[in-house]
Amino acid sequence: MLNIPSLERRWLKYKIKSYFPYILFSLLTVTLIIVITIFIHLEESNKQTLPTLVKQKSKDIILQTKDINPEIILEPSMQFIETMPSTVSQSTTTSVSIPILPPKNLATMQKIAPISPPAKIAQNVIIPPSLITPTIKSTTQPSSIKRDTATFDIHEIEDRFKNNSNPHLGLYIARYHYDHGNYNEAYNYALKTNSINNTIEESWLIFAKAMVKLGKTDQAKKTLQLYISQSNSDAARNLLDSFEKDVSK
Amino acid sequence: MEHSLFSKPKELFIDIVNPRDYVQIDSVSHMYQNLKSSVQKPLKMILLYGKPGTGKSMLLHKLHHDLSKHQKVFMIDIPIIDENDFLRVLAQKIYGHVNRDAITLTTFLELSSAVNYPQTPIVLLDEAQLYSTALMEKIRLISDARALKFVITLHKTDDEDIIAKEHFQTRIWESIELQNASPEELKIYIQKKLLKSNCFDVANMINDKNIKIISRLTKGNYRDANKLMFSLFSLYAWFEEYHPSKINYNSLKPKYIEMAAIHTGLIHA
Repeated sequence: MLNIPSLERRWLKYKIKSYFPYILFSLLTVTLIIVITIFIHLEESNKQTLPTLVKQKSKDIILQTKDINPEIILEPSMQFIETMPSTVSQSTTTSVSIPILPPKNLATMQKIAPISPPAKIAQNVIIPPSLITPTIKSTTQPSSIKRDTATFDIHEIEDRFKNNSNPHLGLYIARYHYDHGNYNEAYNYALKTNSINNTIEESWLIFAKAMVKLGKTDQAKKTLQLYISQSNSDAARNLLDSFEKDVSK
Repeated sequence: MEHSLFSKPKELFIDIVNPRDYVQIDSVSHMYQNLKSSVQKPLKMILLYGKPGTGKSMLLHKLHHDLSKHQKVFMIDIPIIDENDFLRVLAQKIYGHVNRDAITLTTFLELSSAVNYPQTPIVLLDEAQLYSTALMEKIRLISDARALKFVITLHKTDDEDIIAKEHFQTRIWESIELQNASPEELKIYIQKKLLKSNCFDVANMINDKNIKIISRLTKGNYRDANKLMFSLFSLYAWFEEYHPSKINYNSLKPKYIEMAAIHTGLIHA
């Protein structure tokens, strides 16, 4: 004999049991969709808050790069001129430094001119090289002073260099350290820059000069000779001559 | 209840083997023709095997029903496990040898040679997997001596390949395997059974979706299908009596089919 009410109850149980995996699956799917939606929403809201911070940072960076890049490209270091006076005095007066300066810098130099660098240079011709350096520095200082007053942190630039290995940044840092008397750092960064791009003349010059400052004059000469043999650089040749003259003195 | 639309269909699906209820389905009738022609050949043994509920017994009964009109056929549908009883019953039923004492194989063979039939008598053995190896060996010897021809049915189980058994491997000349019904065959089976008894209204209620469910639940097993349909029509008979509004006369309700399956144990709920 059939017990219909009991059968109906059992059937209901069976139906719930058979639909359970589907219900579970749809619940999981719905949960997953909700979680994904929330996650996407959170990510979007993060993106909206982040830009304000990023914008500020990127503005700084843009400002810095605006400050830095032109300097790097347009202001090749004229430091080796420090040692140039003796050569200059013997050969052709102060005209050596002039052709190297790009037009923009010429303008700046002209602007700076009232500080009377030419006169100083003229004086430097007579004054011994060891005494000239500070005065020459004073002629080149304005540009480096500009960089120092700019709102940048050398460590930040070093970090950027570490990240992107831009040889221009390397050169900039090497030049910065050389200007600030950190010859070890200057040597290291010039070396790194050379290893990244071995065609940047100024980097080789800073490298050699830093070596001289660190008492490795012979090594500096060898390096310069090697560089001259490859690049036939006049500036390098002049610097090498200046080293040799210093040694002979 | 007596005059219920579903009481007659319910009776149709009572699980009893009756050759008159045999429903012709293409594949089964093809097999039956094969079996019939095999019986006419001078074969010693014919094996009919398949999973339980595939219609072996029905086919054997049908064969017995059809052959008994023309020749000596004896069917043992309930296995006689005892060897002496087996030979004694055979001797009595085929050769008319009435003896309460045990009969040896030699005596039996002597009896068979003494009685001369125009055609070799046929013995139909249902559920032959229940016979002992020793008895099967005797059956083999009897068939080897051409005293009798045996048609035996066996359950084909997954863990035991009976056909591979030694005493069948060398002796059987013909073996026929019966398969479970496909949904289409099951539909024909159910509808033919209903139409045969003029249950047109109920037959029209069974649609393809219903058959799909029935086939899924019974896996095409005729015995299970019979049980399910019996329960289903019992259920419908109950609803017709107590809640006629719950019956849709256009088609069978899947819910009721599943309830019937729960009742018959095809669904464990």
